[in-house]
Amino acid sequence: MLSIKDLHASIEGNEILKGLNLNVKPGEVHAIMGPNGAGKSTLGYVLSGREEYEATSGKVEFQERDLLELEVDERARAGLFLAFQYPVEIPGVSNMEFLKESVSAARKERGQDPLTAAEFLRKAKAACEQVNLPLDFLKRGVNEGFSGGEKKRNEIMQMIMLEPTLCILDESDSGLDIDALKVVADGVNSQRDGKRSFIVITHYQRLLDFIKPDFVHILADGKIAKSGGPELAKEVEASGYAWLEDHEETNA
Amino acid sequence: MSQWLANVIDRASSVSDWLSPARQEALTRLKTTSWPTRRTEEWRYTSLHALANLTLPETSTVKVMAEAPVVAGLNSIDIVFVDGQPTTDITSLSLPAGVTIHSLATADEAVQQQAQQVFNQVKPDAHLFGMVNDALAQQGVFIDIAEGVQVEQPIRVVNLVSDGVESHNRVLVRLGDKAQTTIIEHGAGQGGSMNTAFAEYVLGTEAKLEHYRFALHGEEAIHIGGSHFKMGESSRLNSTIVGYGSQISRIDTDVVHAAEHALAKMNCIYLLAPKEHFDLHSVIEHVVPNGTTEQNARGIVGDKARAVFSGRIHIHRDAQKTLAELHNRNLLMSRGAQISTTPALEIYADDVQCAHGATIAEIAEEDLYYLQARGISRKDALIMLNFGFIQELVSQMPNKALAAWLEPLLRERFATMES
Repeated sequence: MLSIKDLHASIEGNEILKGLNLNVKPGEVHAIMGPNGAGKSTLGYVLSGREEYEATSGKVEFQERDLLELEVDERARAGLFLAFQYPVEIPGVSNMEFLKESVSAARKERGQDPLTAAEFLRKAKAACEQVNLPLDFLKRGVNEGFSGGEKKRNEIMQMIMLEPTLCILDESDSGLDIDALKVVADGVNSQRDGKRSFIVITHYQRLLDFIKPDFVHILADGKIAKSGGPELAKEVEASGYAWLEDHEETNA
Repeated sequence: MSQWLANVIDRASSVSDWLSPARQEALTRLKTTSWPTRRTEEWRYTSLHALANLTLPETSTVKVMAEAPVVAGLNSIDIVFVDGQPTTDITSLSLPAGVTIHSLATADEAVQQQAQQVFNQVKPDAHLFGMVNDALAQQGVFIDIAEGVQVEQPIRVVNLVSDGVESHNRVLVRLGDKAQTTIIEHGAGQGGSMNTAFAEYVLGTEAKLEHYRFALHGEEAIHIGGSHFKMGESSRLNSTIVGYGSQISRIDTDVVHAAEHALAKMNCIYLLAPKEHFDLHSVIEHVVPNGTTEQNARGIVGDKARAVFSGRIHIHRDAQKTLAELHNRNLLMSRGAQISTTPALEIYADDVQCAHGATIAEIAEEDLYYLQARGISRKDALIMLNFGFIQELVSQMPNKALAAWLEPLLRERFATMES
């Protein structure tokens, strides 16, 4: 469903991704780990189409479409979802209004009928309960005054509502205590249905105790330095990222 | 002097009632007041040209509106004026204990004495149209909330104006110590009308006032008025003013921190098109220490409409430890739209915390990206964010019934500006 070939990307002229390759098939969970500054978040932003992040060369195919040709909102409607590391606060737009608009855009794209007000509310209520957010948060502004943990759970809540085909979680674990982490992980796991795919970006192995990946990739200096199974995450847990430097030296 | 003002003086000379001494004083001053021009600082951006030669009768047989606008779930005590005349029988209102409401026109001596403690005690005496209102407003209400009384039910003074009519109203409100209430000044109308409406509020110690003023007159109307507040010790004011703009629409909202530890939160929302004009003037006087003022005025101006904001916070020499913030943000929807904004802080005390600013807003790219990343088109995301800019203040209104009533009205109005 997603095929990234030799992707190079820059921000303000600095090359961050330097020839990244990745293939994700339906239903797979890929974890991307790596030290700070390796380009993990950049990958998420480039795939979602953030303006300042420019793909300079390479190819990204998503659901047999040229992803890099699509606008941000077209990518989202095509089924790509990025859970942000730092979601913005938009005080004047209520969560309710925002969710209604985004859900109806997604459904329209999929050729589904719009939800009735009652159906929408029922779904929203269930999704809120699932990630342990009080229902009255729907009336508040988008992320307005939310704690860091609430913002992350709100991202997962949106993911549940939008039913995307590919979910990219950008450090959805950062800043969470163990209970909040479990809520996030449970939310993600509930959406694994054998067809939906996930790219889980994380600095620490901890999240992967709760979201079991099929593949683990180590991203370093803008490239996948090593790929393997879940055991690779354990290796990182034990030895950190220092070995990457040796690895690069051997490469050189 | 304009023809209109000459007529005012002429008409007012024949008014005789218990307020006559005050009316005479206003008249004396009006006779020597020159008609504002573009060179008059207070009226620099608001032309009175359309009023100068206007002659409208004070009564009409054609009542465009006679019913108060319905606000679902508000459950308010309504006092309705149509073209300046009461259509509510004020004497037969059923009121909670501790609340008294009297017509100014029929006030007995005891009420007159109480009302005198509010009448012209708060409003600045130099406002031209305030003086016109002093001279001509024969109708109005005096609302008194007794000490310690907390009124659940909002009190709404509805002021409806019809096409082709001139009217003048006054609202006087006294909140006793620890009293608590919600007062709504609800102005609406259709067609070309001229109306002045001034309200004065005196808040006792630890009194709490939730205040709304809606100036939702038609685009042909001329509406000039003010809401003026005198804060008692540790009193609280939460005021929201909403204006649609008209041919001429000018509202003054002034607060005097006359005793310490008072808090005044003042929001204002305006949404203007196609050629409407809205002018908000505000003067906040911090006379004593330890007062707090938070003022936020936000507007969206479309087509060829024009907004004027003039806000001044004056912190006197003794007003140490004042906290004051004054912000005016605007969104211009078209090339022809205009905003003239002058936020000002005048500080004579040395230990205060103040901030002020005015911006012509731009939508943050980051916010747009976030909405787009959830599948919302750039165009729709812009509409949401633009409206969100004033919706933020609507959602801060403590009265949820009013907020729920206002939001779709503003949204509908905004939709016509988008195209």
